[in-house]
Amino acid sequence: MAETKEEPRIGVFICHCGTNIAGSLSIEDVKEYAETLDGVVVADEYQYMCSTPGQTKIIDAIKEHNLNGIVVAACSPRLHEPTFRTATEEGGLNKFRFEMANIRDQNSWVHMHDWDGATDKAKDQVRIAVAKARMLEDLEPKSVPVEHSALVLGGGVGGMQAALDLAGAGIKTYLIEKSPSIGGRMSQLDKTFPTLDCSQCILTPKMVDVGRHPNIELYTYTEVENVEGYIGNFTITLRKKARGVLDPTEAAARGFVGGGCNGCGDCSEVCPVIKPNSFEMGMAPRKAIYIYHPQVMPLQYTIDFDSCVKCGLCVEACGEKKAIDLEAVDTFEQVRVGTCILAIGYDYIPIEEKREWGYKQFDNVITGLEFERLICASGPTGGHLIRPSDGQTPMKVGFVLCAGSRDNTGGVNKPYCSRFCCMYSLKHAHQIMEKIPGAVPYIFYMDIRSFGKMYEEFYYRIQNEGAKFIRGRVANILEDPTTKNLMVYTEDTLLGRPVAMEMDMVVLAAAVQPKPEAEKIRQMFGVSKSQDGWLLEAHPKLNPCGTTTAGIYLAGVCQGPKDIPDTVAQAEGAASAASIPIHTGEVQLEPYFAQCVEEICAGCGMCVNQCPYGALALVEKNGRTVMEVTEAKCKGCGTCGGFCPGGAIRMQHFTSPQICAQIDAFLLEGGEQ
Amino acid sequence: MAKVKDYGNAELEEKLRDTAYYADDANPQFLEDVKKISRTAANMCFQCGTCTGSCPSAPRSSYRIRLFMRKGVLGLEKEALYDPDLWLCTTCYSCTDRCPRDLAPTDVIMAMRNLAFKIDIVPRNFLKTVQLIYTTGHGVPNNDVNRAAREKLGLPADPPTTHSHPEFIPGIQKIMDFYKMKENADRILAEGEQ
Amino acid sequence: MRQYAFFLGCIAPNRYPGCEAAAIKTSAKLGIELLPLEGAGCCPAPGAFGAIDLKVWYALAARNLVLAEQMNMDITLICNGCYKSIWEVNHILKHNDELRDGVNEVLAEVDMEFKGSIDVWHLIELYYDEKICGVDKVRASVTHPLTGTRIAPHYGCHLLKPKKERHFGDTENPMWFEELIDALGAESVQYRNKMQCCGAGGGVRGYDLTHSLDITNEKLLNIQEVGADALTEFCPFCQLQYDRGQVEIEEKFGQTYNLPVLHYNELLGLAQGMTPQELALDLHAVDCKPFLEKIL
Repeated sequence: MAETKEEPRIGVFICHCGTNIAGSLSIEDVKEYAETLDGVVVADEYQYMCSTPGQTKIIDAIKEHNLNGIVVAACSPRLHEPTFRTATEEGGLNKFRFEMANIRDQNSWVHMHDWDGATDKAKDQVRIAVAKARMLEDLEPKSVPVEHSALVLGGGVGGMQAALDLAGAGIKTYLIEKSPSIGGRMSQLDKTFPTLDCSQCILTPKMVDVGRHPNIELYTYTEVENVEGYIGNFTITLRKKARGVLDPTEAAARGFVGGGCNGCGDCSEVCPVIKPNSFEMGMAPRKAIYIYHPQVMPLQYTIDFDSCVKCGLCVEACGEKKAIDLEAVDTFEQVRVGTCILAIGYDYIPIEEKREWGYKQFDNVITGLEFERLICASGPTGGHLIRPSDGQTPMKVGFVLCAGSRDNTGGVNKPYCSRFCCMYSLKHAHQIMEKIPGAVPYIFYMDIRSFGKMYEEFYYRIQNEGAKFIRGRVANILEDPTTKNLMVYTEDTLLGRPVAMEMDMVVLAAAVQPKPEAEKIRQMFGVSKSQDGWLLEAHPKLNPCGTTTAGIYLAGVCQGPKDIPDTVAQAEGAASAASIPIHTGEVQLEPYFAQCVEEICAGCGMCVNQCPYGALALVEKNGRTVMEVTEAKCKGCGTCGGFCPGGAIRMQHFTSPQICAQIDAFLLEGGEQ
Repeated sequence: MAKVKDYGNAELEEKLRDTAYYADDANPQFLEDVKKISRTAANMCFQCGTCTGSCPSAPRSSYRIRLFMRKGVLGLEKEALYDPDLWLCTTCYSCTDRCPRDLAPTDVIMAMRNLAFKIDIVPRNFLKTVQLIYTTGHGVPNNDVNRAAREKLGLPADPPTTHSHPEFIPGIQKIMDFYKMKENADRILAEGEQ
Repeated sequence: MRQYAFFLGCIAPNRYPGCEAAAIKTSAKLGIELLPLEGAGCCPAPGAFGAIDLKVWYALAARNLVLAEQMNMDITLICNGCYKSIWEVNHILKHNDELRDGVNEVLAEVDMEFKGSIDVWHLIELYYDEKICGVDKVRASVTHPLTGTRIAPHYGCHLLKPKKERHFGDTENPMWFEELIDALGAESVQYRNKMQCCGAGGGVRGYDLTHSLDITNEKLLNIQEVGADALTEFCPFCQLQYDRGQVEIEEKFGQTYNLPVLHYNELLGLAQGMTPQELALDLHAVDCKPFLEKIL
């Protein structure tokens, strides 16, 4: 597109943003200054430019003053560029005839005590923005079609809910889970607070739905290998890890009609290799060919090839079903989706590094998840809470709350609150009192955070049932070498007395942290992480399910510790957000594309390899070799534009003349006009 | 401000003394001084009790390090500095080792002790140590029994410290005098003896 | 031979000179030469002195450090209390410009300047450090193994704590001192709450003796529970508290333990063939004979 040749007629609008801007610099001075700039026809100001009256000022001014360019000096374009572009468009201009000067985040908010300095800087910022606005041109966003499918990474309750919602909305959904079964943390729980529902009982219907849903393609024992593309058009390479076991479909494909794994377990019976079952937190064994538990989805065995000795006994035991393939290898499959949701969950911190509490040193100190498995009827002890040291039933159980959370000492410690541990510790206390008559739970706490619906009532109930609450953070724990009982040292801060209480067993409500693979996954999908390490949402209040990468959404604890109700709510929110581009069918890409100025292009092709997105290629046109941009892939990063030795690449909306004009405006035209 | 009860009966007035904490009971400068001398963010204590839970002195006395932190935060200077329990901390540093807010309660105690000294509150044994260091360079000086033992061991009767090199003692004295430590220590000891 | 300026402190040279003699002799056998640090004084006692005025504490500790800087030699010492004063002040002044400038203002009055040019090491860490000596070398230097003895370790406080400002690793249940004890042919024993303070520090021994003794008594009870032939430490102030303390405990609490208390250097000396006379063990308040009978 040619540079605009009409006389610039710019309108400058300065926002007070309440006192955010107006409290730190002189709006009046900046407005008066703007009026002196070349090309500026009108300058105005308002309390809140983003409000309806504010936007109306823009719309009216365009018509009244026949403007062809708008500058708004206000907050960050990340917040309101779309708002003001829409107002510009409603005023009758192309929406890219708009430039924003961030005099809030980049000025008033950091120069709150320098009125004059901030005012001068705002004048500079407006001058620079006007310099560009004078040279803006009409641009058309490019629409690209959106794949009518989505991908959900993580098969816990969050991922499952998101997949069910997307599938229910008619969207083909790939649900990818790295372990052999979906279910996640929730299937490891015995009961859920505050309702005390049996966790697996309320989860299994969802698991079955997921397995059955015609719109859900369930990939278990699969990880994401690579992510290419952009919103509407992601190409995701999946690594289907070598399971070594064929499902009926796979068996049929090989000609074993009626074959494939039916979950009978004959293979596992004969397998000689024993390993810890991670679903049971290592407290129960599994074989090299295994399922976590009888309710897995899919009901299909998996071979842990790191442990398998390839003795072949399982193959024999499987017999006619021919479901086992010891020579299986990882395979790769590509899927194309429009949007993705990450629901990859959490881990505990390595709480054994908090030596003062004796985890992995003292037998009878366990974590909350280990407690869940012990108290669960389908767990390693059939639901009998026993002491690991001697199998005895504990009568005095201590709960250490905030174990590694709310801790600013660095290392493995986390400064944040892990949010759900107060509630599950109350739940554990209840379960002890219910199952072991006469047993007394002691909860050592700093605060009881029972914030949700019916949570405070649950706290009341547990206290009423007889749990003992001692307000003090546990300083340290020592073990009696003979009895293996634990001495818990703290202070009852409410009494003001140091406390030394002997417990039969201690449960640590350990802090939670992102899974180790979260780092690799987020980099593949282009998602940032927050200061606290969890995945970064687009806005903590107004956009908790999205990310700043278009088309990628977040659900569950991977975005920050939360309980099941909040996980499910966020999963539904993420599914809704992820379905919008898909249902709209198309997505608009901002037209910041590179353009080849063919008349000057020498066809050297050096730019092609520079492009990080593979958007450029050399083509034959009218007998000449020139470069061509695939606009859908171009992100407007400017690498090629800055590089081209002949200056033959033009970056739309960030052209060299525009940028040079801004630099010149800043450096050469300072001072009063 | 605590209400004064003018009942004309000293015993009753003491028994019924207003013990409420009023906003002007706080001396904010006290907290600032404590923070500066201790070099720890004492205001960030959230009273979790880990410190007292770790303390060897707590189970055998009324000493509560957590409460001293609280008095620092609330600016209760008099209550903190006049409390004889202030001197029961053995500086074992277990509390500092375990504090989840990354504070140093031990250093807060040391800071409060420094502030107490400034208003002449200090146990006499500390002042005796000051005097010994001033005069001999050592907090625990040599004695004849030990000298004899040293010689039997083949060591010089006096170690190569200020004992064998008394010319270094004036230097130590000059340093201590720079801070008027000896002068103040002597004065407090003398006043105590009256 | 690696050379270090030997900072003596007070209790070792002036009450338990056997520790000083042993340190010099045993270290020489391990390739560590201890040279006199002339003109050094009290570290000064961190508990007693720091309680009064930390500024004087920084200055007097810095004076001791400057003496070693003038020798261009790292310091080594055999006392946890001295470690706190000498190592910590060295560390603080190296990193805190304001405090260092304040100290140098005072030191200028005595023609001294703290430069931060040397490092400070507790002798026990030099023994443990493989780059300098190491447990195996200690074991190899033993000619009279302390076989058949059960010895309880006491780490003390100021060497390891707080861990965020020290480099000795775990403060809840370290085992490296036990390795050094076992290397002498003895059997180190674990006892309840082994990491607890001896009770002497912070001026408490002088301020409220019975309070400090009650803390000591708890440790002695815990050690008695498992049965030990001796208690060992690497802090003469802890040694004083446990040794004299047992006499005081017998007098005030009527409890008797007869537990000999030996500094690691004294044990190492015995294991390397030094005699009780060469270690002035007769100066100990608690008779060491029962322990000596087991090893000699």
